[in-house]
Amino acid sequence: MSAFCNTGVARYIRMSGRRSSRQSSSSGSPSISDEQIIELVSKLSRMLPEIRNSRQSSKVSASKVLQETCNYIRNLHREVDGLSDRLSQLLATIDAESPEAAIIRSLIE
Amino acid sequence: MTFSPSHRVDLKRMASKASLKQKFLKKWMEGLRTYGSSNPFTTVSERKRIIKLSADIAMASIQEGATKWSRALIENASQGMDTFKKSAMSDDRGARLPSAASVAKKIASKKISKSRRRRTRICEPPRPKRLQARSIAKRLVKKRTQVLKNLVPGGESMDDASLIKETLDYIMSLQVQVDVMRSLACMSEHLHRK
Repeated sequence: MSAFCNTGVARYIRMSGRRSSRQSSSSGSPSISDEQIIELVSKLSRMLPEIRNSRQSSKVSASKVLQETCNYIRNLHREVDGLSDRLSQLLATIDAESPEAAIIRSLIE
Repeated sequence: MTFSPSHRVDLKRMASKASLKQKFLKKWMEGLRTYGSSNPFTTVSERKRIIKLSADIAMASIQEGATKWSRALIENASQGMDTFKKSAMSDDRGARLPSAASVAKKIASKKISKSRRRRTRICEPPRPKRLQARSIAKRLVKKRTQVLKNLVPGGESMDDASLIKETLDYIMSLQVQVDVMRSLACMSEHLHRK
């Protein structure tokens, strides 16, 4: 089912890519093959913790990959927001005398 | 001891991620220091916005204009910083400090391409029942692709193939951003506990 879905999606994506390149005169990007798209989609699926940790990681449909991608990005956004909250309480100022500054300096060198 | 090819790739990936984290931390701290020095008295919620916007600008600027999402994010985050500065700064200083935002903008503006909105419609002929499953799957993919386009900065004007490439890069950058911010928060909490 998923291989069928992936090739179907690859065809759909390649067609939409061709339409776009016909309309935009300045896009110099080479046309992308089905195999490249399938490779990209599987690369994406390997980045997603939900799919990477499941046993069926080789048989995931393209729509599932898209769904998990969106969930993962939303989670990452939420994490950044929460961490900004925490840090705003912890860091009154990033001045040169704070202990964090010394540690950060050593990390950046 | 011999390294398998996949082990070598993993080491390479880890090393490149480590250097990305270092670059991000450096840019982010520069932004915080620059802004913090021009506006020392801030509320907690103002600080949160500065921290978050600086982090986004830092994350995007290490791309050096190579990806569309990073150029779009710099635009958005810089606008946030500018409106923030206008309302926050009440005194009139002689020399304006170059903000991380304006520096990042200069780097990105070299490679900004015009975005085009592509809208095409295909009229589909009535389908026999056996093809309905395929068209449902296609519609689901299309719907979810649209959701993804709204989540990735600058995604609305990307074609589907570029969208996947940009998404891969965006996710990796977000992971770097989260890892560094989390490490800083944990370290800071640890230091304050003493």
